[in-house]
Amino acid sequence: MSHQESQEMKSNNCQGLPSRMPDNTAFQQQQLPAWRPSLTARAVLPGFFTTGVFFLSMGILLILSAKSVKEIEITYTDICSNCSKLRENASNFYKECTCSISFFIPEKMPGNVYMYYKLYNFYQNYRRYIISRNNRQLLGEDITNVENCAPFQRVSNDIPIAPCGAIANSMFNDTILLSYYPNSSTRINVPLLSSDITWWTDKHVKFQNPKSSNLASAFAGTVKPPYWRKPVYQLDQGNPENNGFLNSDFIVWMRVAALPTFKKLYRRIHRIQQFADGLPAGNYSLDISYNFPVTLFKGEKGVVLSTVMWSGGKNFFLGIAYTTTGAVTWLAAFSMTAVHLKLKKKKAFFQC
Amino acid sequence: MGTDGGARRKNTAAREEGDQGQEEPRRHRQQRRRRRRESKTRTVRSNLLPPPGGGEPDVAVKGAPHRWRWSQGGSQHLADNRLKTTKYTVLSFLPKNLFEQFHRLANVYFVLIALCNFVPVLNAFQPELALAPVLFILAVTAIKDLWEDYSRHRSDHEINHLDCLVYCRDEKKFVNRYWKEVRVGDFVQLRCNEIIPADILLLSSSDPDGLCHIETANLDGETNLKQRQVVREFLELDAEFNPLKFTSIIECEKPNNDLRRFRGNIIHENGKKAALYKENLLLRGCTIRNTEEVTGIVIYAGHETKALLNNSGPRYKRSKLERQMNMDVLWCVLILIVMCLFSAIGHGLWVRQYGDRKKPLFDVPQSDGSYLSPVLAAVYLFLTMIIVLQVLIPISLYVSIEIVKICQVFFIHQDKELYDEETDSKLQCRALNITEDLGQIQYIFSDKTGTLTENKMVFRRCTVSGIEYSHDANARRIAMYQEADSEEDEAAPKGGTLSRRGSIGSHQSVKVVHRTQSTKSHRRTGSRAEAKRASILSKHTAFSSPMEKDITPDPKLFEKVNECARCLEIMRNQEKSLSHLTPELADIFDFFIALTICNTVVVTAPNQPRHKVRVRFELKSPVKTIEDFIRRFTPSRLTSGSNSGSSSSLSTSKSTHKTGSSFLSTLSTESTLLKLEAGLTHSSPKMNNNGYGVQPGGGWATENGLKEGELRYEAESPDEAALVYAARAYNCSLVGRLPDQVSVELPHLGRLTFELLHTLGFDSIRKRMSVVIRHPLTDEINVYTKGADSVIMDLLLPCSSDDSRGKHQKKIQSKTQNYLNLYAVDGLRTLCIAKKVLSKEEYACWLQSHLEAESSLENRDELLFQSAIRLETNLHLLGATGIEDRLQDGVPETIANLRQAGLQIWVLTGDKQETAVNIAYACKLLDHDEEIITLNAESQETCAALLEQCLYYVESKFSDSGVKKSLGKVNVGVTSLHPPSPSAAACPNLGLVIDGKTLAYALDRTLEDKFLSLARRCRSVLCCRSTPLQKSMVVKLVRNKLKAMTLAIGDGANDVSMIQVADVGVGISGQEGMQAVMASDFAVPRFRQLEKLLLVHGHWCYSRLANMVLYFFYKNAMFVALLFWYQFYCGFSASSMIDQWFLIFFNLLFSSLPQLITGVLDKDVPAEILVTVPQLYKSGQNMEEYQPHMFWMNMIDATYQSLVCFFIPYFAYRDSDVDIFSWGTVIMTIALFTIILHLGIETKTWTWLHWTACGFSILVFFIVALVYNASCSTCFPPSNPYWTMQRLMGDPMFYLTTIISSVVALLPRFLYRTFQGTLFPTQLQLGRQLARWGPKEFSVHKDTISQQHPIGEQGLQSSASKGSDNSGPHPQDHSPLASQSGHQPASVTESRSAHRTANVNAQSLKNTMMDSLRGHSLVPQRLEGAVQEGPSGDSEGESSTKEVSPLSSILDLPDFSLLNWISSTPLFNGFGRAFRLSQSSLQTDVLGGTFFSVGSQLDQDLKGLKRETSDCFQEKVKGTSAVCHNSENLETTFL
Repeated sequence: MSHQESQEMKSNNCQGLPSRMPDNTAFQQQQLPAWRPSLTARAVLPGFFTTGVFFLSMGILLILSAKSVKEIEITYTDICSNCSKLRENASNFYKECTCSISFFIPEKMPGNVYMYYKLYNFYQNYRRYIISRNNRQLLGEDITNVENCAPFQRVSNDIPIAPCGAIANSMFNDTILLSYYPNSSTRINVPLLSSDITWWTDKHVKFQNPKSSNLASAFAGTVKPPYWRKPVYQLDQGNPENNGFLNSDFIVWMRVAALPTFKKLYRRIHRIQQFADGLPAGNYSLDISYNFPVTLFKGEKGVVLSTVMWSGGKNFFLGIAYTTTGAVTWLAAFSMTAVHLKLKKKKAFFQC
Repeated sequence: MGTDGGARRKNTAAREEGDQGQEEPRRHRQQRRRRRRESKTRTVRSNLLPPPGGGEPDVAVKGAPHRWRWSQGGSQHLADNRLKTTKYTVLSFLPKNLFEQFHRLANVYFVLIALCNFVPVLNAFQPELALAPVLFILAVTAIKDLWEDYSRHRSDHEINHLDCLVYCRDEKKFVNRYWKEVRVGDFVQLRCNEIIPADILLLSSSDPDGLCHIETANLDGETNLKQRQVVREFLELDAEFNPLKFTSIIECEKPNNDLRRFRGNIIHENGKKAALYKENLLLRGCTIRNTEEVTGIVIYAGHETKALLNNSGPRYKRSKLERQMNMDVLWCVLILIVMCLFSAIGHGLWVRQYGDRKKPLFDVPQSDGSYLSPVLAAVYLFLTMIIVLQVLIPISLYVSIEIVKICQVFFIHQDKELYDEETDSKLQCRALNITEDLGQIQYIFSDKTGTLTENKMVFRRCTVSGIEYSHDANARRIAMYQEADSEEDEAAPKGGTLSRRGSIGSHQSVKVVHRTQSTKSHRRTGSRAEAKRASILSKHTAFSSPMEKDITPDPKLFEKVNECARCLEIMRNQEKSLSHLTPELADIFDFFIALTICNTVVVTAPNQPRHKVRVRFELKSPVKTIEDFIRRFTPSRLTSGSNSGSSSSLSTSKSTHKTGSSFLSTLSTESTLLKLEAGLTHSSPKMNNNGYGVQPGGGWATENGLKEGELRYEAESPDEAALVYAARAYNCSLVGRLPDQVSVELPHLGRLTFELLHTLGFDSIRKRMSVVIRHPLTDEINVYTKGADSVIMDLLLPCSSDDSRGKHQKKIQSKTQNYLNLYAVDGLRTLCIAKKVLSKEEYACWLQSHLEAESSLENRDELLFQSAIRLETNLHLLGATGIEDRLQDGVPETIANLRQAGLQIWVLTGDKQETAVNIAYACKLLDHDEEIITLNAESQETCAALLEQCLYYVESKFSDSGVKKSLGKVNVGVTSLHPPSPSAAACPNLGLVIDGKTLAYALDRTLEDKFLSLARRCRSVLCCRSTPLQKSMVVKLVRNKLKAMTLAIGDGANDVSMIQVADVGVGISGQEGMQAVMASDFAVPRFRQLEKLLLVHGHWCYSRLANMVLYFFYKNAMFVALLFWYQFYCGFSASSMIDQWFLIFFNLLFSSLPQLITGVLDKDVPAEILVTVPQLYKSGQNMEEYQPHMFWMNMIDATYQSLVCFFIPYFAYRDSDVDIFSWGTVIMTIALFTIILHLGIETKTWTWLHWTACGFSILVFFIVALVYNASCSTCFPPSNPYWTMQRLMGDPMFYLTTIISSVVALLPRFLYRTFQGTLFPTQLQLGRQLARWGPKEFSVHKDTISQQHPIGEQGLQSSASKGSDNSGPHPQDHSPLASQSGHQPASVTESRSAHRTANVNAQSLKNTMMDSLRGHSLVPQRLEGAVQEGPSGDSEGESSTKEVSPLSSILDLPDFSLLNWISSTPLFNGFGRAFRLSQSSLQTDVLGGTFFSVGSQLDQDLKGLKRETSDCFQEKVKGTSAVCHNSENLETTFL
């Protein structure tokens, strides 16, 4: 009497009736109504043509929209080479170095204009770098929580760093000012806004300052990250609201870039006075206080001024990709038609 | 499990725990060790007696089981009767299961990787998170194991708690006990129809002869009843057996698994020793039948019973696909290591480029402020990378495969076509993990009896005295049973209840009574289920289905029998001798007498087990001694003490002989001898002249008030019963059989009792059996012999051709021989019946020598053989019978279909050559136009020479077969049903028949290669007279040497070894017992279901699993490659842009369901097509779905797709301010879409489940992403993807990127599939298109096909002749015909061709064409069938022809211009070549054939025919539908 047999017996017992006939349902008999697509030229031709049309038109649309984006980029590592040199030596940490670059915007940049800083070869996505942060601390609940922030957790005498971690420590700290020269003698500082350059959720959910009457006391008992010049509550002296963990530049920096060459939103142009319609064409200059060392790792820095379309920045790639794909699809469709017609002709001829 | 006291468990746990699976060997080892330590025997004493060691008397019988007594005694550990097949206990489950799971390397790997995450330097993910998938997978497996174990436990429990009657000392009677409480040494009483709980020595039986009938079907699969005998001493007890008085000690061998052996001694108190044989042992699992009550002592219990020792449990097999898959998993490991190495080196270089001093801002120092050296960083990175890329080794692959297989098994179980209503059994999958092997079988090894045939012998026709009685009514009746069966199936598809089942044979009231009785008796014991089982089994027990029993007599013969009986009656009344009968009538009379008595059939009354008759009313045995003979045959019948004394001395010397003798019924001999030996000095049985002469109303049978109709015949072989039933149909019925006499009821004459002097049993060398009887009417001594025709015909009395009588006799013989040949062609089992009259002197003379032979010590078998030969000479031929061992339904069709599927079918049977060949013909395994090589060799050398010769012959045939074959075909005018198998593509049809002896030589190491190369050239191989071992050797040979996938199918115990050896073992359940089923991987109720199992389920399982495995590799590779590409942009630092949660759950949650659904439900080709076009099965044999290069193709595709999925977002988001997780989420989304759409391309059948699964996967991803990204901003360090998805979904870029990436990634595969599907469709794709005709159209079409199919060759032949008949009228009426049946190109062609080639037989032309095409075109002969339908179409009506037309139009294949076009296109080279070949071969055929003279003209005719057909077709068929049809059709032509 084996296991199998007895199982059989049991199953009978349970059913009461001896019949073990399986139920005749479509599911159990694997006869569910089904769609059987057949991948033959004839069947897929319409699909190919429509896809082709869609892709081609989409591609052209994208190219056009990318074309309408105005963008200008000024890399200043080389231009400010003296500052770069200076920053290569850590001992010059507290030395100021400013650098002024003038440039020309040939066309008017309409609408919202954004100012980005761009870093080359900065591996913000380096694994050990990414993980070196503490979101709880940034939430302001417990600023002494420096877990996961190794090695920038505490300074030697066990005082926690706020904000801790490698990401915060290496925060981009150049300041960039943009000036407009309507004529050779006049210089207007372009009004820049640091608000709304972060994700709304970052500013309101992920980053919070510790609750306290004033920021300085809130951060009492912590020290600034070693590479920082000023404590976190003094990041933006111009705007007391923009300090502590809620500093927009800090929040932007803390959102780690995906690729080693990246740009981050720095400011947006305040659309008032002559800048109400964007940046007019003309001469501009950037005044940069050069703090962030990049030449050590063969990096570069730059400033990007750009308008934005629904399809993102001035990137033709998607448009080209769509167009090419559309073209390829059409090509495939045509060759398939040829094959199909040839086969069909022969078939018709011989079959009759 | 665990419900009992710990002590008991402890006692038995060690020996019992490992009954199942892998633990079995360990147990055996333990046993062996123990056996070596201990003595070789076991001693069993009654438990009712005080223990042997003189310990305290066994006080408590009930409370304290005897177990402790044994263990205290310390001498022996005897297993109790508890069945324990579970692996785990509550406590041991967790550790043991984990331990077992870690036997799987993959699990260890995954756990190690998960543990790596706990090392801070290495960790890539949150450690707890990384453990999740591993734990999940372990948990799933553990739950599955737990469930299985629990169900085992429940079934164990159920069996353990069955009741049986055990003698209780206190109560002095038998009381109910559970099975598990039965101990060795207990006395057990069993009633009729009860199942035996342990191995029991039979001590007492209610049967008058001390017999007990058991049915061993559960054990060895043999359905006939077996007799077991009470141990002799106890046979003679007058009083009721009293266990308390049992003082003997039983010595027997240690438990072993040999069902056919039991040796032991019983030592009585008085020191007497008597031998015990297997005839004394009742085996666990058997059922008591026809015996009211038996009592015995338990010898072996529980796991030591032979039944359980024989049950080795399911084996773990690994399927071919899985082996291949494991290879590829290894490749994956290699790829993984390469990727990690590459990254490690890259990282080392990346670190180094910054030098020691110029550490960049983003390089994070160690806690102590130092930086890792590049080398160390690389080493760490290597390990981290393995963690990150671990997904490449598909963690869920094994679990998925297991799930898919379980579901596949479920669906196979659910297939109602694999359900057999008659036996109420459906397919069982016993091996869960080799379903896909079913799709790759190349060789089928089949048993014959019971597998191909029903093992129901039906008397079909006979020849008496040279006159054939065709029994047409009988044939019709048999046919009717078939129909009735099928009607019943239709009428009641739900199956019946117990009573309904009984009433199937409602005209057999006996059976109903019997059933219900058995049911009742089982209700009493509380196991209804078992009773049901028993009743189902009993249906097959006694070869007594109504079909076998009710034989419709042939009116002519019936008339003659009556006449004969009347004559006899008159003669008896007039006291005339029988010789006054005409020779013919005498022959008829003798014929039926022989049928009735020349057998070993036992007559029983089904519902009344024989009661013990206290006063034995007569006891006689066959003539044993010369004295006995003298005694019986001298009128005075004086018996003297000295006589019996000498007889005892004479026979004592014989008592050494073993039970092996097949000649005399040894049992009775021994019983007599033992009786004598025991000194029971009653002079030999009382004489009673009742045995002589007419004895109406005498005998025990009537005493018990039995009426004739209630008798049941129980025979050792079913054909014996068939003959007895046949004789009964002519009112010549066997009513009783005792060891020494046979009673026969005859019409008019009443009951005659024949004294049975000798029975020379059947043996395979003599191939006949004989009985020696004394005829009650003539008082002559007659020998009736029944045997194979080949043997009997040689033993006949040579008849002189001088006198008329001799001439007449000769004529009779030759006529009979003719009929015999006819029977053989019909596939009937033929038996010749002959008779011989002995004078008393002759008999005495023979008896003298026979007794000498019997008593001789050496060479006994040889001498007995000689003696038998001496008796069986100079026979007088009475007649011959043809018995049909009915083929199971659909066997020829199944075989034909399986053959077409490219399966080689070998039949390995233990049957004799003649029978086997007959059946082979009947089931179309051999064809009559096929050359058959028969290998019968007597020695190794002859065998070698024979093989050599045959090989040479085959070789020579092989070379010039092409022309020969077609020539043969044309001449015969019959097309072969089967396209030659691939291994013998151009081989002429050859069949190989080899007998057991030769097989033994051929399987020798030196010859096996030759044998194999010969055998594989043959279309069919038939091994007769093969032993079970040989069967398994053949299977092993093919499996190992040809590296082929083998399937063995059988139903009996003799097939077990072969079933176990084969890659896939299939047992036929329902027919016979459980033995084969227990050993098998799959058990099907009927042979014909093999077709669906292999062609449909096998194919599906294979293609589903193959596709799923490939997809799995692709999926993981594609996903992992994304991460790998990213390493180039993150300094090879092992960061991943995809969030760790997505990474971890990608396989588990997001992408698992669609592939599972596809793996379970996808149907590449619908079932109907797979059955109708068996050639599609070849894709599995050739491993087309999963070839080694496909793995690499998939890898390349995965690489491409991942490149696309990585770089399109890369370029799209380059220079933007995208953050890592947003970007990663985009990529993840793209990857998911791509992967699911990829599956969509690979999915062939979309049901709502597929849609749901795919939709669900995507939905789950978005939901999880949204929820996860919104749930907690700080919970999942280090990643912090808060609100990422939400933000992405508001960004058009996200959608744009996703769309284009998925499309670009899948475009090449889609294009490839499309072009390939259009230009070079595989057979499977064509099959799929065939299905697109729509189910309705197709099913009708299928019907026509299946109608056509079974007709087989005869059908073809007849329709061929029909075709040529039609050619006359056709030219006149072809236009109405054409217009009548809308599109009917084939028949139009037909009529046209008939018209054009007026003097050429159109049909043979067609045949020739078909012939030449068949080799190359894959259009099965079903299509051919459709064409055959063509000419006869008009008679069949419009509907059928209409349905046929789409297919038949394909047969307009001589589209040679098309072929030319095809072959001119390079793409079509392959096809073109094939078709050109066919074209040229057609021409060769035509030229070389009978049409030589018209050859060239014919060629023109063909073209003309073509043109005309097309013209005609164009006229008749208009509209696009025709074009559409055509296009489909053309594609099918490539099939």
